[in-house]
Amino acid sequence: MSNTAIASNGRLETFSYDDRIVRWFVIATVIWGAVAMLLGVTIAFQLAEYRLNFGLPWTTFGRLRPLHTNAAIFAFCGNAIFAGIYYSSQRLLKARMFNDLLSQMHFWGWQLIIVLAAITLPLGMTTGKEYAELEWPLDILVTVVWVVFAVNFFGTMVKRRERHIYVALWFYIATIVTVAVLYIVNNLEIPVSATKSYSLYSGVQDALVQWWYGHNAVAFFLTTPFLGLMYYFIPKAANRPVYSYRLSIIHFWSLVFIYIWAGPHHLLYTSLPEWAQTLGMVFSVALWMPSWGGMINGLLTLRGVWDRVRTEPTLRFMATALTFYGMSTFEGPLLSIKSVNAIAHFTDWIPGHVHSGTIGWNYMITAGFLYFLVTKLWNAEIYSKKLANIQFWTATIGLVLYIVSMWVAGITQSLMWSAIDEAGRLVYPNFIETVVRIVPMYWVRAIGGTLVLFSFLVMMYNLYKTAKSGSIGREEVYEAYALDENSIEKGASPHRKLEGMPTLFSILSLIAILVGSAIEIIPSLISDKYVFRMEEVKPYTSLEVLGRDIYVREGCYLCHSQTIRPMPHEVLRYGKASEAAEFVYDYPFQWGSKRTGPDLARVGGKYSNLWHYRHFAKPQEVTQGSIMPRYPWLFDRKLDFDSLPKKFEVLRTLGVPYSDEEVASAIEDAKAQALQVTEDLAATGNVPLEMQNREVIALIAYIQRLGVDYGSLPEPEPEEEQVQEGE
Amino acid sequence: MKQQAFIHFDLPWLPITGLIIFVVCFALYTYYTYKKSNKPFYEQAAQIPLDEPKKTTLFGGEVQ
Repeated sequence: MSNTAIASNGRLETFSYDDRIVRWFVIATVIWGAVAMLLGVTIAFQLAEYRLNFGLPWTTFGRLRPLHTNAAIFAFCGNAIFAGIYYSSQRLLKARMFNDLLSQMHFWGWQLIIVLAAITLPLGMTTGKEYAELEWPLDILVTVVWVVFAVNFFGTMVKRRERHIYVALWFYIATIVTVAVLYIVNNLEIPVSATKSYSLYSGVQDALVQWWYGHNAVAFFLTTPFLGLMYYFIPKAANRPVYSYRLSIIHFWSLVFIYIWAGPHHLLYTSLPEWAQTLGMVFSVALWMPSWGGMINGLLTLRGVWDRVRTEPTLRFMATALTFYGMSTFEGPLLSIKSVNAIAHFTDWIPGHVHSGTIGWNYMITAGFLYFLVTKLWNAEIYSKKLANIQFWTATIGLVLYIVSMWVAGITQSLMWSAIDEAGRLVYPNFIETVVRIVPMYWVRAIGGTLVLFSFLVMMYNLYKTAKSGSIGREEVYEAYALDENSIEKGASPHRKLEGMPTLFSILSLIAILVGSAIEIIPSLISDKYVFRMEEVKPYTSLEVLGRDIYVREGCYLCHSQTIRPMPHEVLRYGKASEAAEFVYDYPFQWGSKRTGPDLARVGGKYSNLWHYRHFAKPQEVTQGSIMPRYPWLFDRKLDFDSLPKKFEVLRTLGVPYSDEEVASAIEDAKAQALQVTEDLAATGNVPLEMQNREVIALIAYIQRLGVDYGSLPEPEPEEEQVQEGE
Repeated sequence: MKQQAFIHFDLPWLPITGLIIFVVCFALYTYYTYKKSNKPFYEQAAQIPLDEPKKTTLFGGEVQ
């Protein structure tokens, strides 16, 4: 609603838009999108053929996978969000961005973070928490750049010339506020060195905080900002107002309030309290309502212009994106139902679901508004609608191949893992049987991913040619009335007044997400009172600490879980169900979210030291058909014993009960244990004693410790039976 | 024995409080949003993305 009509007596002002910054973000989006997808295709092929890991540390799956996810989320989607927000906010607020310098600082700061991530992650500098792998110096940089963005955005709101804050901006506000809260809380850590830190949280507490973050990173980085962009770009491209503005208000408040509660659905059947799991499940199911409300609102905006969906790339990609959004927001709550989750969790179904969202929703809608933006910003017509058509079909076919192959792989895995014969034994006791069976699906996924990458490259070329055929020209100048007392609507209802007050609106959005967060985080923060430390569960030895750090560095958690769910087939395969008390010294927790390989929670003592030694060197010679990469560098690199005193000091600060003597003798103890392990290897496999200071020895020591303390305790009597007997 | 460590971990008031806050807020904003008298206002608000400000030249003249 133009304020011109309301404020007829206001001061007429002239202004221009800063479109240069939008052009920069558009270019960055296209470049980083190609990089993210190339990395995705690379690791997809690595899962199908282990030799493609090349035996090099920085090209191995465990290091490239965090790079892929960070590049896709923060580099590709991040730049896309910023491009869209900078373009639409200026127009919706009828104001130039608050400060051009802040815009540039935001742009270059973000690109610097991406470049540093691209250097540090392949070098193994990681916190070991999914989607939050960046180490503490980069976390600080992210926070600073985000604050710059927030100041710039809210500053623009302050000097706006449109009284009403359009719904797209609400979604941007929620994004800015919530991402700040999520990122800071989840990344609280104590540095050990410039490239290494330990999470402030451990075990169950860390798991809860991490998945509160992980789930809501999806919600507030990959969903809410794109919904805001949808509410701006679909009406613009279709040249019609949104189907129901009132529905968009309900959509917004319901989504921001409910989404934040749903994190625990990532931790169903773990040692998280039952009520927290149920709560996460119920709110995940409730998410159907706002998600589909938004999708329907977007699709119905296209009523009357469906013929243009066939011919206009922008509308076509956006309509498809909304369709995939509807599909993935149907699938997500479905997967959160405990009985479905029991089947799907840890399987390939989950990456299939994730990619139906990231490719189907984020890539498609980005492609839609990139076509819109490039034609507007470079004053050009789309170079080739035929190429856009080719892009659309290759992306869609590639995505369908991806999703279907992962459904098949996931359900196959689940059925094979849980198959128990009449005698109560596992039908497929060797995990590798379930891996070999699904490798063909990994090939299909890799082909599907290649098609998606190809489609993206086609779009890059099309956009480049479009931009080249146009011209930037000089900045246009516009005029609009400044806001004054006359522009405030008299006698409006409270919500309508609120819609014109960005500060209060932001505070209320913050409260909405904090209510749900508190429900999740309070139990986590006070869990120390409830998670009893068992005498039998001891802190890791100094060599095991070194080994654990290597485990984190190599990204082992990306293929191996470390938590056994209380299900018959899991207990039969892996051992006793995991308990919260087992993880109190795990900084960070390493439960993982996927079982490309078997769970390792009770792997300690299951195999000999020599088995592990040979397995790290050449997994395929120990386990025929294994797709695990080889780790030759673990046999060359020397252990960093000198880092131990500092690491022990930090862990002690975090609450691990190391005595002064243990801290003082950390190096000697580690060397003594390393010698012990190596002597065993020498006796059983003629391994030279010079290997005692190599990284593989520490990793073996850590693996051999997993689950041993609690796992060796006798199974206690079932509580329910005890109660019944008592009665 | 399942989840023994959390056996005393019981905070039912926490989700119930959150749920009550959500239901009350939901009812309030749904009421305000769908109030009949607000309809014209929101129909106008929906037009904001389509409402382009007037272009001028650098010297204040209107662009043709």
